[in-house]
Amino acid sequence: MTSQQTAAGTQQPDIPTQAQQPAGGRQQAADGQPLVRVRDLRTHFPIRRGVFSRTVGYVKAVDGVSFDVHAGKTLGLVGESGSGKTTVGRTILRLIPATSGSVHYRGQDVFALQGERLRKLRRHMQIIFQDPMSSLNPRMTIGNIIGEPLTVHGIAKGSEREDRVASLLQRVGLDPSYRHRYPHEFSGGQRQRIGIARAIALSPDFIVCDEPVSALDVSIQSQILNLLDDLQQELGIAYLFIAHNLAVIEHFSDEVAVMYLGRIVEKASATELYANPKHPYTISLLSAVPEPDPRPTRRRIVLRGEMPSPSNPPTGCPFHPRCPLTRKAAAEADAKDTASLVELGYPPSAMPAGNGKGVTLPILSAGETIRVLRKCVEECPPLEQKKGEGGHVAACWVTE
Amino acid sequence: MPDPLLSITDLQIGFSTSRGMIHPVRGVSMTIYPGQTVAVVGESGCGKSVTALSVLRLIPQPPGKYLGGSIRFQGRDLLQLSEREMRRVRGKDIAMIFQEPMTSLNPVYTIGDQIIEAILLHQGVSSREARQIAEQSLRDVGIADPGRRLDEYPHQMSGGMRQRVMIAMALSCQPKLLIADEPTTALDVTIQAQILELLRKLQKERNMAIMLITHDLGVVAENADIVNVMYAGRVIESATVEDLFDRPQHPYTEGLFRSMPRLGQKATRLQTIEGMVPNPAQWPPGCKFHPRCHRTRQLAANAPADQTVEIRTAEGSARVMARCVHDLPQLPTSGDPELREILPQHWAACHFTENYDNAPVTLPVIEHQREVRRETVENGVEGVVP
Repeated sequence: MTSQQTAAGTQQPDIPTQAQQPAGGRQQAADGQPLVRVRDLRTHFPIRRGVFSRTVGYVKAVDGVSFDVHAGKTLGLVGESGSGKTTVGRTILRLIPATSGSVHYRGQDVFALQGERLRKLRRHMQIIFQDPMSSLNPRMTIGNIIGEPLTVHGIAKGSEREDRVASLLQRVGLDPSYRHRYPHEFSGGQRQRIGIARAIALSPDFIVCDEPVSALDVSIQSQILNLLDDLQQELGIAYLFIAHNLAVIEHFSDEVAVMYLGRIVEKASATELYANPKHPYTISLLSAVPEPDPRPTRRRIVLRGEMPSPSNPPTGCPFHPRCPLTRKAAAEADAKDTASLVELGYPPSAMPAGNGKGVTLPILSAGETIRVLRKCVEECPPLEQKKGEGGHVAACWVTE
Repeated sequence: MPDPLLSITDLQIGFSTSRGMIHPVRGVSMTIYPGQTVAVVGESGCGKSVTALSVLRLIPQPPGKYLGGSIRFQGRDLLQLSEREMRRVRGKDIAMIFQEPMTSLNPVYTIGDQIIEAILLHQGVSSREARQIAEQSLRDVGIADPGRRLDEYPHQMSGGMRQRVMIAMALSCQPKLLIADEPTTALDVTIQAQILELLRKLQKERNMAIMLITHDLGVVAENADIVNVMYAGRVIESATVEDLFDRPQHPYTEGLFRSMPRLGQKATRLQTIEGMVPNPAQWPPGCKFHPRCHRTRQLAANAPADQTVEIRTAEGSARVMARCVHDLPQLPTSGDPELREILPQHWAACHFTENYDNAPVTLPVIEHQREVRRETVENGVEGVVP
């Protein structure tokens, strides 16, 4: 009991120092410069075959992604499995090597750093994983899991470290006496709190949250989301919030980017994107979310087929084979400006699936002819400003 | 009123573990009519999957044990059937699909082998006819070129395609009841929409009943006719989907609705249900929800001291109504508030819902089918144009 009280006592002077650090940092970055700046990021994984592991192709998991994350703000990154959203988060933190492109943190080139300077940078950029069980070492006590980064970075040791760990545990809503326990003794929600305590131990100002609540029960999700929100308010942390749940992303983000096949297809403020989506993929994605209302009002657009494989993406706009908008435009356009999906090879040769193996559902049924705009097949549309609020960009030839 | 297809009455299931008997299902009752979709909603450990598995008698015994109750399907109690009779029910009258299709398909057999096996077993046809039936059932779930797909292996298909194969397999013998245990949880939202749409279409064509196990309230709202909310091994609320979403009565159901982020409603802060999902090995006494319940705390704050008690919670301590904690030491099911019909066709198990004291204790039987379904446009462009 006494140890708990001392822990609570030391927490008082401890928390403000943690809060001041990034708050000062925020002022530094306030002169228009983003905290994290990502430009034309590409991450390609080689596909190797045969006895000599010859490279026969590349899975273009991330293929030219650019965005800014501002201090103390949240950028939501949403997309289906295989869209490359997780790879983006890991590439930024250099957990996966980038193929090309750049990431700057406070003007520092993250990919150019080596050795000690890279290690120092890692203090400021942290990650929270989806599955708290597989990201916590089962043989370490909670106290060691949270305290290890403090030792590694030479911030605190001995009783000072103990006190820091206790105050971190308390900060994430766990009893400080839990620090002698092991990960398996905790529920999913508690483990995620431990993962959060570890991530904030070094007072970072940027955290990649990779599906932080999707493995949790519904009633626990809101607890964790509120905790992340509180930490952002108090410590001024910026989040790159990666998730597939569109309602969670909307709730949590200031700005939202939608990914499809390794590219960002639309980006806008959260309010604008949800109220006024422009890209046909975003529109159908939003319409596919089940409404928690037994008398639904919105229509659902069911897309045919599945996301193609990033090892063999469609030419031009990667969404053209499934896109309802280009079909409509093609029906009204000159025949010479359009192409038939059958001539382009859909079906009979079905496309490889999004996970890189096997086949997906066909986009056409037998005997069907669907025409799309030739431009969508030949040229990849750039992310450009669309009608509506400033900063609303979408990559589509057809949408206004 | 026609007879229900399935009625589960006071089902109790125990599992013996190294720490003694645990009780994941403690007196569950529910009814399903032909053509109805009955959702069973709850969080991990609430007993929803154990209930579903027990309908097919797939609970391994030991360690599992049916401790009481009955599961009547078309007039017969499934718990009284011999293993041989039960095998004739499984796959033929009642079929099941699971969350992760990869783990329920055998990786070393082709899709065709696996579908045809069930058809040969149940339908008494030649193997050539069985192959034709299998092809047709793949076609029914929207798989093109089914003749060729029959000779492929599960790993050659995407997740959405595998779930379609599972559905084809489950429906190849024209079951009257389909148990779908989190059928779309592992899938992306656009694929989820395809699969749910497919299930609705097949259900309508065949007047098939579906028991839909899920934790996603959006999926419930769009698909269910009746909803049973489970918590700690019991049904704590049962109503038509419209009544449940319009007027949730149990504080747990209320809390679930409030804590969920909704599309198009950007709240600054989410309401939460505090505490943890309880562990079946250590149920709290009395109403199993009282350690997390907001309602009992509010009432206790204004109640005379002799009607309240202090409890320890994960967050410290709290004062709650004594009635919610009251426990009788004989049975693991004791102390729970009974499920009562507090409003017409609306059951809830909470001492502090309106009318609870005067409401009758009856089994929830609701013969209702929803009217409004969400309109779907396949690859439609209407509405796509901003």
